[in-house]
Amino acid sequence: MTYCLTEAQQILGQRARDFASEFLDPILADLDHGRIFPKALIGRLAAHDFLGLMVPEQSGVAGAGFVSHIEVVQALSRSCPAIASVINNHALVAYAIAHWGSLSQKAAYLPAMIKGEKLGAVAVQEEGPIPGDGPEALLAVRQGSGFILNGTKTFVRNAGVADVYLVFATIRSGLTGFVVDAGTAGLSVGPRLETMGLRACPVADLSFKNVAVSETAVLGGEDPSVAGQLLAIGAVAEAAQTVGIARAAVSHAVEYAKHRVQFRHPIARLQAIQTLLAETVTDSHMAWLGIRHAAQLIEDGAPFEAEAAMVKLFLGRFGSKMLIDAIQIEGGMGICEVVPKHISGPLPLARMFRDIAGTTLLDAPDDFPDKVVAAAVS
Amino acid sequence: MNPGQAAVRQSAKEFVAGNIIPYAEYYDKTGDFHAYLLEAARPTGIFAMAVPTEYGGLGYCPLTQALVLEEWGYGCAAMGTTLSASILSMEAVLIAGNEDQKRRFCKPMLDAGIGAFALTEPAAGSDASAGVATAVKSGNDYILNGPKCWITNGGVASVYVVFAATDPARGAKGLSAFIVERGLPGFMPGDREEKLGLRSSNTTFFFLKDVRVPAANLLGQEGDGMKIAMETLDIARPAIGALAVGLAQRCLDECVKHLRRRYPAKSFPGETLQFELADMQIEIEGARQAQHHTMALREAKLPFTKESAVAKTLGTAVAMNVTSRAMRLMGSHAYTSEFGKFMRDAKVMQIYEGTNQIQRLVIARSVLAPPRAAAPAPTVGAK
Repeated sequence: MTYCLTEAQQILGQRARDFASEFLDPILADLDHGRIFPKALIGRLAAHDFLGLMVPEQSGVAGAGFVSHIEVVQALSRSCPAIASVINNHALVAYAIAHWGSLSQKAAYLPAMIKGEKLGAVAVQEEGPIPGDGPEALLAVRQGSGFILNGTKTFVRNAGVADVYLVFATIRSGLTGFVVDAGTAGLSVGPRLETMGLRACPVADLSFKNVAVSETAVLGGEDPSVAGQLLAIGAVAEAAQTVGIARAAVSHAVEYAKHRVQFRHPIARLQAIQTLLAETVTDSHMAWLGIRHAAQLIEDGAPFEAEAAMVKLFLGRFGSKMLIDAIQIEGGMGICEVVPKHISGPLPLARMFRDIAGTTLLDAPDDFPDKVVAAAVS
Repeated sequence: MNPGQAAVRQSAKEFVAGNIIPYAEYYDKTGDFHAYLLEAARPTGIFAMAVPTEYGGLGYCPLTQALVLEEWGYGCAAMGTTLSASILSMEAVLIAGNEDQKRRFCKPMLDAGIGAFALTEPAAGSDASAGVATAVKSGNDYILNGPKCWITNGGVASVYVVFAATDPARGAKGLSAFIVERGLPGFMPGDREEKLGLRSSNTTFFFLKDVRVPAANLLGQEGDGMKIAMETLDIARPAIGALAVGLAQRCLDECVKHLRRRYPAKSFPGETLQFELADMQIEIEGARQAQHHTMALREAKLPFTKESAVAKTLGTAVAMNVTSRAMRLMGSHAYTSEFGKFMRDAKVMQIYEGTNQIQRLVIARSVLAPPRAAAPAPTVGAK
C-alpha cells in the first residue's frame, strides 16, 4: 500500500488548507468564545466540494473518496476542528445513505446533502450504556406500514442545526437506522449543551414522542451491523481531527520555542524542549500512518475494523497527550484563553487542548477499541 | 496521622463540602476571583494555618497543611491555589525575614488576608535570573521598577514578596527580595489573565513604577533574593502536589460515581475499565505517599529538595493523567459538563511554581550527585 496522495487528492488537501486560512482562521476564536455555529459556511464548504467526499459516486468530485475526506478533515482541523466535526457528522449520514440506503433515500437526500442544502446528524448514544437498555432508550414499534419512535438520544452533534437525522432505534433486540427529517412531529431538540471544546458544533439531546415514520425511513433493512460499521468509520474520520489539531499545536509550539529566549538562547535549543517536540511529532506521525492505512482500506471496501480500532486505541493514549506536551513548551502562554495585553498573540493552544479532548471520547462499552483489536489477533 | 491531624482533616472536609464544592463551577465559568471564600474562611483562620503560633497563627506542621491542601484541591484546585500561593509568599518571609518583618507579613493572614509571591517576569520564566526589575537604594528606601507577570493573587493580595535586582550586573547573585504592601504609589496592577484552568485563581501582570519601599522591607541582605526564592519554592512545591492529589482523587471519585449511575451492577464493564480505574488509584496513592514523605522529611529537618520536586512533578503528572483518562472514559457526559474543569486545572498545575521540566533539572541534579561517603562507589576495575 502506498501513502502517496494522487494529484487530485493533493489538490483537495490544498483547497482545504486555503479554505481554512481564508474562511476559518479569521473567525475561529469568535466561534469558540461565542459558541457560534457558522451556518453561512455550510454553503461555502459545499462549493469547495468538502461535503460529498465520502460519497464519491454521487458527488462526482475528482479524487473524492475516504482518503480525500480525511485529508480535508485533517487540514480543516488544523484551523477549526469544530467545523471538521460538523462535516464529519454530516458526511457519516451521507455515507450511510449511499451505502445502505434505498434508491429513493439516495435521490431524496444525497444531492441536497452534497450541495449543503441539507445538513446531516447521526444519533446513536443513549443515557443507558447499551442502546435499547435504559429507561429512556429509543424504541421503535411497528404500527401499520410504519413505526412509532419513543425515547431519547443523547449528545447528538449537529443537533438543532441538522435537516436530517440518522437515528438508531431498537426494534426487538437489534439497532436499526431510521432517516428522520428535522421538524417531524414529535421530534424535539433539547437545550444545547455546553461543550468543553469544539464549540462551533452544537450538541444536544433529541427526544422522540410518538414520532411516526413510514417504512421507507428504515435504512438498510434491519441490519444490526450498520451502526457498528458506521461508528468505526466515524472513529477514523474523527482521528483525522485529532491529528490535525496536534499538528497545528506542534507548529505553533515550534515557532514559540524558536522565539522564546530563556537561559540566553531560544528554548528550541534545549534538549528537553526538543524531546517534547520530537515525541509529539512522532505520536502524530504514527497516528497519521494508521489513519491513512485504515482510510485506504475503507476506500477500497476491504475489512478495516481492527485497523480503525488500533487508531482509536493509539489516540486514546496519545491524543490529549500531544496537546498536554505542546502547552508545556509554551508554559504560561500555552494556557492563555485570551492574549494578555502585555504580549502579542495568537495563543491558540488552550482552545486546542479543549478541542482535542473531544475527539477521543469513549461513550459506550462497545466503544472500547481494545476488544476489537484483541479479537483481530486471537 | 495523629488524632489532631484527623480532626483537622475532617473539619477541612466539612469546610470544603459546604463552602467550596457548591461554588467551584460558578467561579470556573466566570473566571472571577472567589472573594467570598476569604470571608467564609475567616472564622477558621485557615489562611493562617502555616503562620507560627507565636505570631498568632494555627502553626500547622507541614503534613497537617498538606492534609488541608489535599481537601481544598479535592474541592477546587483554583481555590486551593489561592491558599497555597499565599502560604508560599509567607514562607519567604519566615525563611529570611527578621522578627518585625515576620510579624508584619503574617498579620494580614490572621484576618483571612492573602499574600503573593512575585518572581516571574516576561523575560524571566523558567530562567528566574533573567529579570529586568530593579531596586535602587535611595536614602532609607529602595525604589522599585519593572514588570511582574503570572503572579498568583497578584490583584487581590494585601502584601507581596517582590524580587528585584539590586545589582543587575551580578545576575542571580544580584537579586533581592522585598516586602511590598498593597496600594503603594506606583504599583500598577494589570487585568486578570483569562486562563484555561484554575480560572478563578487570580493571576495578573503588574508593573512597578518608582515604587518607594522602606529599606526595612528588604528580606535578608542585598543579593540574597535567589537563595530565598529557591528555599521558599522547595517548601512550597509539595503544596502543589497536595492540591493535585486532591484534584485527581476527586476526579476519580466523580468518574466512578458517573459509571455506577450509568452502568447497572450486572452490566458494569469488565477488566479493561476496572483496571483503568485501578491504575488511576495506584497513581494517586503513589503521589500522595511521595508527598507525605516529603513533609515528613521537612518536619524531621532532613534534606528534602529532591523529594519536594518529585512530589510536585508526580502529583501534577498524576492529576493530568487521571483527569484525561477519566475524561475519555466518561465520554460526552464529561465533555458537556463541568467535569472538563479537572483536566483544565491539572494542565496549569504542570506549569506553575516551576514547570515540571525545571523540577526534573532539580531531581536530575540530585540523581547525578556524587554518591555519599557512606556508600562509596565501587572502584573501577576492582574485582
